[in-house]
Amino acid sequence: MGALTDKYCIVGVGETRFMKASNRTPLSMACEAVKKAMDDAGLTAREVDAITSFQIADSTDVANVAQALGIRINYGSVAYSGGSTTEALTAHAIGLIEGGYCNTVAIFRSMNGRTGRRMGGQAPGGVVPPSRAEGDAQFYMPWGFTTPAQHFAPSAMRYLHDFGASTKSFAEVASAFRYHAGLNPKALMRAPMTIEDHQRSRWVAKPFRLLDCCLETDVASAFIVTSRERAYDLRQPPVFILGGSARTYADNPAWNHSRLRPYLQAGNFARQRVWGMSGIRPEDIDVLSIYDAFTYTVILQLEAYGFCAIGEAAEFVKGGRLRIDHELPTNLSGGHLSEGYAHGVALVNEVVRQLRHRADDSCPGWAEGRHTYDRQAGCRQVRRARFGASLGWGTETRGSCLILRSASA
Amino acid sequence: MPGEIDYSKINIIPDQDTAEWWEGTKRHKFLVRQCKQCGHKWFPPFPACAKCTSMDLTWYETAGKGVIHSYVVVTQPILAAFVTAVPYVVGLIELDDCHEADGRLTRVAGVMKDDEAEVAIGLPVEVVFEPTGDPNFIMPRWKICGTASNTWKFTE
Ligand SMILES: [Zn+2]
Repeated sequence: MGALTDKYCIVGVGETRFMKASNRTPLSMACEAVKKAMDDAGLTAREVDAITSFQIADSTDVANVAQALGIRINYGSVAYSGGSTTEALTAHAIGLIEGGYCNTVAIFRSMNGRTGRRMGGQAPGGVVPPSRAEGDAQFYMPWGFTTPAQHFAPSAMRYLHDFGASTKSFAEVASAFRYHAGLNPKALMRAPMTIEDHQRSRWVAKPFRLLDCCLETDVASAFIVTSRERAYDLRQPPVFILGGSARTYADNPAWNHSRLRPYLQAGNFARQRVWGMSGIRPEDIDVLSIYDAFTYTVILQLEAYGFCAIGEAAEFVKGGRLRIDHELPTNLSGGHLSEGYAHGVALVNEVVRQLRHRADDSCPGWAEGRHTYDRQAGCRQVRRARFGASLGWGTETRGSCLILRSASA
Repeated sequence: MPGEIDYSKINIIPDQDTAEWWEGTKRHKFLVRQCKQCGHKWFPPFPACAKCTSMDLTWYETAGKGVIHSYVVVTQPILAAFVTAVPYVVGLIELDDCHEADGRLTRVAGVMKDDEAEVAIGLPVEVVFEPTGDPNFIMPRWKICGTASNTWKFTE
């Protein structure tokens, strides 16, 4: 068990709508997400005293959000980094509160990921103008090798080669998450997707098709971390933090293609610490979020964190195993593939909502924890939600995770 | 053959760690970094040895031959320079003559001269150097230079 296991909680979650074109500033969206998370928790602006965020020169500073919402902060900072930073900032928050630097931390990510700066350097509306190849980009930009899809594809190709897998396993992942998105009124893409729909979608970077890629999205999302003692007084059932990985790197931390094997991604280096610290095992997890930048990143993380053995995930995901009411309900919001790409924060929010038993679905009583479990009627709440996890992904070389439990577990 | 790459739309900015590498390409040399203390070889040219932390480094000129370890077929262009090049293949190539300290072959990425139909994991390749229109930059590309018995191709 970790020294701080069960001492800190996530007490509030919130986000803007998931949008294709927000027509808003990242500042405005960040304010909305943080305010909604505070309202959700029953916290006033006077009770939040720290704000952290992360970005890639595409968002707003925490000071602006603090000023706009009238929050005087005892701590604020912005990390310049990507996907696996959500769980990292949660670990920062725990350390800061434990050290007495602040009491209650709001963590947000706000970006116009579709109409503003797009991942991989693509400009809004098409290809980019002449590009500056500096730093390590000197050795990938001139080879036309810049986007996440392009960077992860050779790893996926080698995986298919090594294990005799096919992209039908990718389709299983995409289709399961789309089914969940159909139960999530917030999700951008809700129409059902069959295995065949996936297989017919156009190529982007082989072996990835369009429906292997997450949705570039304009969105802000936020959650709030505070101590157990404060959490008891707040509006929602607290969700307890058991442990995780703040941000673990693989053996070749900077260069994806220098790693020995695709399946030796960062999570493999974190796994023993994560479960040892949390005091539970993969088989205890009732609700899982996995950073689905691509379908394939789900495959790799299932293996890395021990949900199945290395080389087995392509088989493991078949038969709807990741779907609600099956063995391992995963990305119940629809995830980045179908709800929208929120750089990991919304994936945590979904696990929190499930562990509270308050998935914001079509059940009239969801806010009070009353669910029908009728999927035809749009209920998204899993029946048993005691333990949850969110697995974060930066690239194959860096990952993070957060293990959570419900107040009733 | 893939279409032309318009290198004029990429502005390469060498720095103190990489300028000698780019100089090498002008003389049709594909260099990798080598540690003088332990012999470890790596690419791209990070400024210290990851096996022994030495910063006493030299360059090793590879023969520029290797085997395709994996690849991606890019069908949707993102960079302006590659709009006319799609579909093109970026190969991950394991160099025949560059071992890391643990015996693993040093891996580099590069754009293939060959089409998707010809590329397969396991095929031998060699480096070729092509002009970019800017005399200060000569670009390495890779092309298939033989056959192999145990190859694998993505056929979906
Ligand atoms: Zn050395």
